[in-house]
Amino acid sequence: MLVALLLTAHLLVGVALLGAVTHQAVGLLRPSAVQSRRFIARYAKADHTAFTIAIAVLFALSVLLGGLLYPTYRIQVRIPFEGMHLSWAIGLFELKEHFGGLGIGLLPAYVWAWRPGNVTGRVGLTLVLAFIAWWNFLVGHVLNNLRGLT
Amino acid sequence: MRGTAFSAAFCCAYVWALATNHPLFLYYPLHGDFRWGMQPLLTSAQASGPAMAWYGIVATASLLAVCATLCVPRRLSGRLTPYLWLFPVGAMLGCAFLLRRFF
Repeated sequence: MLVALLLTAHLLVGVALLGAVTHQAVGLLRPSAVQSRRFIARYAKADHTAFTIAIAVLFALSVLLGGLLYPTYRIQVRIPFEGMHLSWAIGLFELKEHFGGLGIGLLPAYVWAWRPGNVTGRVGLTLVLAFIAWWNFLVGHVLNNLRGLT
Repeated sequence: MRGTAFSAAFCCAYVWALATNHPLFLYYPLHGDFRWGMQPLLTSAQASGPAMAWYGIVATASLLAVCATLCVPRRLSGRLTPYLWLFPVGAMLGCAFLLRRFF
């Protein structure tokens, strides 16, 4: 029961993180589109500086919840994956965990880059965090479909 | 400014810890045991269950990154900023290379 609750919380935090980081990344890449009335322009129009702390907190929370679930995965999912010779699935999860770890280490620079007056490096760091968020969400979804935690 | 040095050092230290197998500690989820990275459980893998290195790798990278942050001059941290995104990208590619046996 606790695992199911943690997994649901992990999913919800992941969804919120995806929304925030995608919004911010799109806003960064399309700053000149604010005058248009098209959907993507209005989507990019939001004040993307407002997302920074929320993204950092959601990312840290997502990795923390994943870290709490990780021992259960190691016992209940990875061992059966090894038995089923699904080494690609194990590899995908290994990448997910390491990307998540690297993302945690990236947060201080990310928050610093979004402070007023600091523009250098903002785009690259935001896009890397967005990539990690998307990768981890999609891999988690695929692996949970293969064999979910109980 | 210190945050940029921390993040750059964290990425380098993380890949180093993964490549050279230097987690600060190991966690054995079957029995909930912790062991220092250099002192894995001596019982058979069957009895102790699988070891998890990820927490220890994050701890190693954090520790080394804090040390590096205190040593790196602020001026150098400032110069790193435009290229900072290269560190996580390089680290992610390094992780993918180290995990190529799975694919």
